[in-house]
Amino acid sequence: MLPKRKTWRTTSILLVGIILLVGWQNVNAQEQEHGGISNSWLIMQAVPSVSWTSFPTRTHFSFEWEATPVLYSWGMTKLDPPVHFFFVTQPERFAGSIEFNVSTQLYTSQIGTSHWGFSGQLLAHLPLVERGEYVGLNLGVARYNIAGVSSNYIVGGFSTLFGFLHYNIKYSPVDKIWMHSIEFRFF
Amino acid sequence: MNVKNHLLRFILFSLTVLYCSMIIPGCSSFFIRFITKSFEDLPSSPDTVATKIAHPIFQNVGLSVLWVGHATCIIQIGDKIFLTDPIFTETAGMISKRRIEAGILPSSIDKLDYILISHIHFDHLSYGSLSMLPKSTVMLLPTGGAEYTPEFGFSDYKEMNPWKTFESDGVRITAVPVKHFNGRYGFDGVWSNYNTFTGYVIEYKGRTVFFAGDTGYDPEKFKEIGRKFAIDVALIPIAPIEPHDFMKHVHADPEEALQIFEDVKAKIMIPIHHRTFVQGLDSSLTTAQNRLKQLITERHLEDRVLILNIGEQRILVP
Repeated sequence: MLPKRKTWRTTSILLVGIILLVGWQNVNAQEQEHGGISNSWLIMQAVPSVSWTSFPTRTHFSFEWEATPVLYSWGMTKLDPPVHFFFVTQPERFAGSIEFNVSTQLYTSQIGTSHWGFSGQLLAHLPLVERGEYVGLNLGVARYNIAGVSSNYIVGGFSTLFGFLHYNIKYSPVDKIWMHSIEFRFF
Repeated sequence: MNVKNHLLRFILFSLTVLYCSMIIPGCSSFFIRFITKSFEDLPSSPDTVATKIAHPIFQNVGLSVLWVGHATCIIQIGDKIFLTDPIFTETAGMISKRRIEAGILPSSIDKLDYILISHIHFDHLSYGSLSMLPKSTVMLLPTGGAEYTPEFGFSDYKEMNPWKTFESDGVRITAVPVKHFNGRYGFDGVWSNYNTFTGYVIEYKGRTVFFAGDTGYDPEKFKEIGRKFAIDVALIPIAPIEPHDFMKHVHADPEEALQIFEDVKAKIMIPIHHRTFVQGLDSSLTTAQNRLKQLITERHLEDRVLILNIGEQRILVP
């Protein structure tokens, strides 16, 4: 089992490698007028996703704000550039992709006991039914810092309802922690 | 610590208010009634189409149209085959239930030259249906459609900005502006930078066909199309109608469809986008068709407006 610092270094090298290796493919995408970050999109990013996360001790409701600094999509046509920064449509993600995303969570099980969480994930989305719109598989690794406690996790789960509904299991091999989450995601 | 707790309480309270403000108007809207109506229909099987044409493609024909259902039509001009907004699946987007089978089996389409996608809604850009089609075809998409189109293995893909013309082997296909709404999942329509919907005008061997896709009525747009093209056949949507205050902005009702027909100055109109799926809050699947029949009789348009049955093929020019 890798020490935590080494895992992070490996993840970082993987991430940089992915960006360098595939970034040039955007040049090959047929030049088209494409969407992107608009003011209304920015405003809507303030609306958090909601989830229920079950820890070994109790289940927390949480709000989550997520951003996708980079995503590589391999399931789209040549008209669509494979590398996306922050702005990602549902099919670009769920028709087959690997992404690096970061998020901030606000967990609460009762008023007055809420706490913040922060995470970074390297997550692959594999389409299973209807190009991932009906059912998709999520696989990856994540690092969570919840209430000041950090752990690395292996992530696996499913998405459905056009990628809006997720069920993910996260397991920390070092700390032997299991997390189950049902997530209703806006992107 | 107190400050932190107050801050957290404030954030949680604000978010609760935000979600309530989003959910409460949604619950009272037609959207929830539509979802409820759709769920009621999910367990039922679609009605069968008695006789499906096994070989819809001719060796050569002047002009023929086969209505597969909804906005799906096989148009053949000469030796070229065009398929509009193909949907053969039992649901559109998991929820909206097909009430009548597709008029032909997708496997009976053994030759296909062009697929025209008018917009990215589930009932017009159906991933499951596109997977069933022959691969040696060119797929035309509206502006922004590429961001919603997975790879299906077709020979080529083209995004069509308004008034852009694609030409190949004597075929001219022009994207023409219509009036509809953006997005695929609802909220994504809000942040679109441009219109992700279009109509198409197909020109080949002296024949011209207008496919309106899915549209509301906009006199300026349709009169302009009428000025630029001499249209033989117009495929124009006539449903859904209700709730009319909402639908009138994005869907033409039968009266407006006839007005579009007049504006584009077509010789023949074939109504589409009705009878196939649960749509809007129309009281029955035939509400729009019945209203159109009434108008046809009143205006003596029997020879010019052809209401096809699902699966019916009409040779308009032998």
